[in-house]
Amino acid sequence: MPSTWTVDDTDLDGIDLESSDFSACLPLKKVPNGDLFAASRAGDVDRLRYLLESGVNVNARDQWDSVALYYACLAGHLDAARMLLENGAICSEHTFDGDRCHYAALNLKVRKLLKAFEARPPPLGPLQAALRQTFLGCVANRAYLEQAQGALKVSFPVGLASSGVSDTSLFPPDVVFAVQGSPIEAHRVILSARSPFFKRKFETEWKDRGKIRFSKEKLSYPALYSLIHFFYSDRLEVAVDDMEGLARICKVCKCESLQRIIEKEMIHQKYAEHKALRDVDNSQKRYILQGLSLPKEDRLPDALNRLLQISLIKSAICHNLDNYVDRLSSCFSTMQISQSMDDLADMCVRVDKKNFRCHQVILASRSDYFKARLYRMKDFHEGKNDLPNDTLPCLEEHDLSADVFEKMVEYMYTDGLKDVDPDQADEIFDAASRYLLFPMKRVVADVLLPQLEVVSPAELCNWLILSDMYGVFKIREYCLDSIACNFETFADTPEFRAMLLTLPPPSGDSSLRTTAPSAPGAVVNADQGNLLDDLREKWLEAEAAELDKRDESALLFDKRLEMLMLVAEQEKSDNLAVVNQDCTT
Amino acid sequence: MSAPKKKTIQIEAFRHRVVADPKYAEKTWNILEHAIHEIYNHNASGLSFEELYRNAYNMVLHKFGEKLYSGLVATMTFHLKEICSSIEAAQGGLFLEELNRKWADHNKALQMIRDILMYMDRTFIPSAHKTPVHELGLNLWRDVVIHSSKIQTRLLDTLLELIQGERSGEVINRGLMRNITKMLMDLGSSVYQDDFEKQFLESSADFYRLESQEFIESCDCGEYLKKAERRLNEEIERVSHYLDAKSEAKITNVVEKELIESHMQRLVHMENSGLVNMIVGDKYEDLGRMYSLFRRVASGLVLIRDVMTSYIRETGKQLVTDLERLKDPVDFVQRLLDIKDKYDKIIGSAFSNDKTFQNALNSSFEYFINLNSRSPEYISLFVDDKLRKGLKGVSEEDVEIILDKVMMLFRYLQEKDVFEKYYKQHLAKRLLSGKTVSDDAERSLIVKLKTECGYQFTSKLEGMFTDMKTSEDTMQGFYANVGADLGDGPTLSVQVLTTGSWPTQPINTCNLPTEILSICEKFRNYYLGTHTGRRLTWQTNMGTADLKATFGKGQKHELNVSTYQMCVLMLFNNTDRLTYREIEQAAEIPASDLKRCLQSLACVKGKNVLRKEPMSKDIADSDAFFFNDKFTSKFFKVKIGTVVAQRESEPENQETRQRVEEDRKPQIEAAIVRIMKARRVLDHNNIVTEVTKQLQSRFLPNPVVIKKRIESLIEREFLERDKGDRKLYRYLA
Repeated sequence: MPSTWTVDDTDLDGIDLESSDFSACLPLKKVPNGDLFAASRAGDVDRLRYLLESGVNVNARDQWDSVALYYACLAGHLDAARMLLENGAICSEHTFDGDRCHYAALNLKVRKLLKAFEARPPPLGPLQAALRQTFLGCVANRAYLEQAQGALKVSFPVGLASSGVSDTSLFPPDVVFAVQGSPIEAHRVILSARSPFFKRKFETEWKDRGKIRFSKEKLSYPALYSLIHFFYSDRLEVAVDDMEGLARICKVCKCESLQRIIEKEMIHQKYAEHKALRDVDNSQKRYILQGLSLPKEDRLPDALNRLLQISLIKSAICHNLDNYVDRLSSCFSTMQISQSMDDLADMCVRVDKKNFRCHQVILASRSDYFKARLYRMKDFHEGKNDLPNDTLPCLEEHDLSADVFEKMVEYMYTDGLKDVDPDQADEIFDAASRYLLFPMKRVVADVLLPQLEVVSPAELCNWLILSDMYGVFKIREYCLDSIACNFETFADTPEFRAMLLTLPPPSGDSSLRTTAPSAPGAVVNADQGNLLDDLREKWLEAEAAELDKRDESALLFDKRLEMLMLVAEQEKSDNLAVVNQDCTT
Repeated sequence: MSAPKKKTIQIEAFRHRVVADPKYAEKTWNILEHAIHEIYNHNASGLSFEELYRNAYNMVLHKFGEKLYSGLVATMTFHLKEICSSIEAAQGGLFLEELNRKWADHNKALQMIRDILMYMDRTFIPSAHKTPVHELGLNLWRDVVIHSSKIQTRLLDTLLELIQGERSGEVINRGLMRNITKMLMDLGSSVYQDDFEKQFLESSADFYRLESQEFIESCDCGEYLKKAERRLNEEIERVSHYLDAKSEAKITNVVEKELIESHMQRLVHMENSGLVNMIVGDKYEDLGRMYSLFRRVASGLVLIRDVMTSYIRETGKQLVTDLERLKDPVDFVQRLLDIKDKYDKIIGSAFSNDKTFQNALNSSFEYFINLNSRSPEYISLFVDDKLRKGLKGVSEEDVEIILDKVMMLFRYLQEKDVFEKYYKQHLAKRLLSGKTVSDDAERSLIVKLKTECGYQFTSKLEGMFTDMKTSEDTMQGFYANVGADLGDGPTLSVQVLTTGSWPTQPINTCNLPTEILSICEKFRNYYLGTHTGRRLTWQTNMGTADLKATFGKGQKHELNVSTYQMCVLMLFNNTDRLTYREIEQAAEIPASDLKRCLQSLACVKGKNVLRKEPMSKDIADSDAFFFNDKFTSKFFKVKIGTVVAQRESEPENQETRQRVEEDRKPQIEAAIVRIMKARRVLDHNNIVTEVTKQLQSRFLPNPVVIKKRIESLIEREFLERDKGDRKLYRYLA
């Protein structure tokens, strides 16, 4: 949560949202069996979190045509509303649902919250956000968006300006569509993955064409733009007036589920006019659809996953690794992918003597490392050695196992990981850091955390070191918590004592020590501090030391650590002696 | 969780590399340092990006970020120093090229280094609050290379020298200049401004100050402006080619200031070639240039406008006060129109139709036209002239154009009611004498006046046209009714004029000949028979008559004369000689009219149907007149015009003015009452301004007259003075 909320609205200027606003002053009713709407209306955040994590569609409407956010705003549950918004609930005032939410907001604080979220980039997963940025990185696409927003006065800061766009941060498009003279830039791989129509066209007619003109009068530029934007970001935003055109395009592109939803929504919009709370200029009315409303197999990660599987199979075939093919072909058959085996790969990565066929646009969008590598191909040594047997450009990566690379590719294509071997964890963390895939660490941590509940104290020490090194906050916090709660157990563990020696000493400076427990919801310090300092904090919290006794308790803890370290020194020299003895004998 | 042991080993193994090898950091850094050297030496193709990135990543991961960063700074500084000395060593003209080449090299190297150290850029630098690699590279380049004592001034001098060279006509490498200035901008706009732009502007100012001095001594105004314009365009072009776009405003400012602003006065007033000369010589191109250049400077246009205005006023004043010119009203107005056309053309083609200039022109015309109190009369005379004969054979569009121009002059008049008065008179004469050429033109002018001044202004004029029309019908009716009884007596044509619509003239009766009197009587009976309750008065001073006369040798002529002349001539039916006294007695025509009519009958050569004794130009009371039976003319019809004073004579003029003043009185009073009715209480000054405002469209009332009117209204108890404040008036009625 950002510490400041900036919104341009004179009504709301005087209103400040503080953290205390987000907790209810009265105990709220719990609805342990309620659905999304009941939970939102009651403000039952726990139930809501559970429901959202289980993957319900946050923008679904109930039988009275209301969305969950509407109930949360109506009842004034700021915390519930924020949770819904963070999970992608639509709050743009130009949409039917968003307009109702704004209108229904209990007080100005709720309105301010809605405005603040309206002003932010849409909440998207890292994969969708990265591809959206690549799409908008193309000059023509960006120009259209800015012009459209200028006309609509919708504040949607794209968030590109701040990221320091330089020539290397753009990934060039490989196909340009011209609709009535206006260009849309795109990448073949993405379009092929999302639409069978484009896939077929790119394999046949449009194989070698960089520029494709559409001259049909009926084809509307804004509709096609919004669809292609949707292909990249799993988020559809379209003017209500363009929906008819969009439905037609969907039919051609064989995006059946999207077409069904749009056709249904068009009927709804027709009736919505009668229900509208105030007159809105028709051309300003928008319809926004989050990918969550579509069946899972029609969303971006699944589409890219299919592409990835084909690529992996092809990579394996190239190597004639039969067992590898066997392993994969089973999952291939279940996916019922059509006859075509073209994976559209335009590069390959060589890891640990294996070649992986990949797609430049996805790798470059996800990882700035790959973007730079692809851009720098010519400048360095790597540009020189062409592989004779393979025409694709090839990158070679060292210090990495093929399995870990496969995991990494899986994450890059799908934003998720199915299962992670804890033994691989350090390597995966290493890869995530090295390839600048920072969000991946969280995903891995989420997969691993349940397994950490059963490990021994000695192992936990290792996990702590590991997570501290790679900055995996979730695991680090978990380890520190466990150690602080069971400090005596750990003090008895030799591995823990040995670890203490390798850590930098805690800062003796008491000014760094917080004298008050950190406020709930306060901004978590992004820079991780000294591990032992953090441990001391945790310990003080766990021991629930009284506020005035904190300094004394901290001193006690420091003393304790010193003693443990002395013991560790002793053990170490003993060990050395033993080893020396072994050697001498 | 079956193999805790194995994992421990793994982690140890990982840490091992670092911990076990105390020289790890040193070694890795050496690799990277070598790589940076290679990159700067263009040997990057021997390096592996992946390996270098991995090394940098590991260094940061194992907390050697600080070492990496400081090493980077040191290495880069080392290279930049090297580059710096090689640039310094470059000879003469090669200096800039060397600088440019090295800058390109550095940029490329910097990007490669940035990509290699990307992990540091993302993690270590933000948390340690350091400068990002790319920015660091630029900062170092700025501090080490650009700000090195030997390069900084040399760079500046070289740039300025080249620009100076280009100004004096040399061809320089613009692409190179472009790159260098772009470099300065890349280093931050402050670098560009401090290290280049400021001095550039100063030296430009010096240069143009000198040059403008030189120009102004040697060139005339037009030439100077041409040069200034060329210089200005050169500078703008220079900015577009190789300077920052933001510099354009600044450099043009300098040029404007030095070339135009500081010599503005002198240029405008330059002898034999200044603004006035350009106007006189209709030098549109020069004027246009002056306009577009001076517009760039504050108060530049004001200066042009002021000089032009005062010149127009001066010449206009000369024109309207030149007694010689005033003799011919038509020529006078034509001249005014010519002047107006001239300035319209200048403003249109050289001053891009600038509104402020048009306003200045209008106010100047208003100023000098009203200097001459007879302007309204003359303008009306001009129209009269045009409508009498001037429009013959002229197409309708041209008529419109001429009328529009007249209307324009009319707009400048302050005393529009005076114009109205004269126009009415002239129109009446035209209508009654049947001299109008085109009815359409007449009506079109009246429509124009109506749109300009409103319905009131023209209602009487329109009434005159209606009268003419109804009279025609009446005459037809008259002849249809009584035509049979008339026999072969004289034919009568009567125009029945509504009193009030027509200019009032003193009724001068005269004794009509008996033949006429009888038919007149018949008409009177007919007219009063069809229209009851009306009164008819004969306006003998305005009529005309056609007489058939037989002269000595039997030749017959038809004489076209005025009613007065007819009366006089009819007297000669009975006798050949009459003295002035006798004629005066018999006809009872007012003396001035009689004299004028006798003059036209006896003194105009070729039309002298009477002979006068003694033969002199002027008519004296003692003169005697004879029927001139020796009269000859090659035409059958002889038109004997009255000797009409085209312009009013001085006493007549006075009289007209008097009448105008009289007419104004009720208008002023009406205005006062209107105002007071609405405001109830008002002080004197406010009344005067309000009245002036209301009547402005017709004339400018004199405050003294207004005061008199107020007093008269007080007397008649429309208003009263406030008891306490004598300056306040109250409305009573």
